[in-house]
Amino acid sequence: MNRPPMVMRIKIQNPQHKFGLWLPLFLIIPIALVVFIILSPLILLAVIFLWPRGWGKTALLAPWAAWRVFCATRGLKVDVQNPRDCVQISFV
Amino acid sequence: MTENQKKILEMLAEKKINTDEAYRLLNALDTADSGSKESPKEGKVIGGKAKYLRVTVMPDPDRPNSEHADRVNVRVPMNLIRAGIKLTSLIPGEATEKVNEALRDKGINFDVRNVKPEDLEELIGALADLEVDVSSAHGEKVKVFVE
Repeated sequence: MNRPPMVMRIKIQNPQHKFGLWLPLFLIIPIALVVFIILSPLILLAVIFLWPRGWGKTALLAPWAAWRVFCATRGLKVDVQNPRDCVQISFV
Repeated sequence: MTENQKKILEMLAEKKINTDEAYRLLNALDTADSGSKESPKEGKVIGGKAKYLRVTVMPDPDRPNSEHADRVNVRVPMNLIRAGIKLTSLIPGEATEKVNEALRDKGINFDVRNVKPEDLEELIGALADLEVDVSSAHGEKVKVFVE
């Protein structure tokens, strides 16, 4: 498995607005982990409730799958620009 | 001078080979060397694994007003594609049926349950040879390639 991205960079620019953000994901990950641990009994309840309907496995594996997708975003870069507008999103 | 060229010249000096044979051997060496040192084409993956799928849309610089055109540069990690496709294994049977049905309605006869990890690797490996190069009538150049 890949290492998770450390920083997410967002830059949105148009004649009216200019917005730039460096989001330190390495600081957010521990907070998200704590939130996940707090919510885990609720997730377990949801798994038990959804199991007869066939969605239990999905609910059980979804957090792990979401983590893997998050880790895989490292290196993703979207850059769309014209002389007036600019949108840049990148995961470093 | 490489080690092989030196050996050929030594063999010529020792009269083990004649000048014609030495010439042919040196030529063959040159061809082999230039073949191995040939620079890879831009964006092509030579050996190793493809890491990114790139999509670029650039204006044709020869066209008027090209500086006002949109520019798009997207780089998608292959691991993200892998992780995305693997998500299909989480879809429960009931929903899979609906997905297959929707695909059939669109004329795509494909069963998402048949996506297996080994097929996935083969598919991504095959993507390494992908190269799409489109020049539109509006003066935009669209490129899709793997690097």
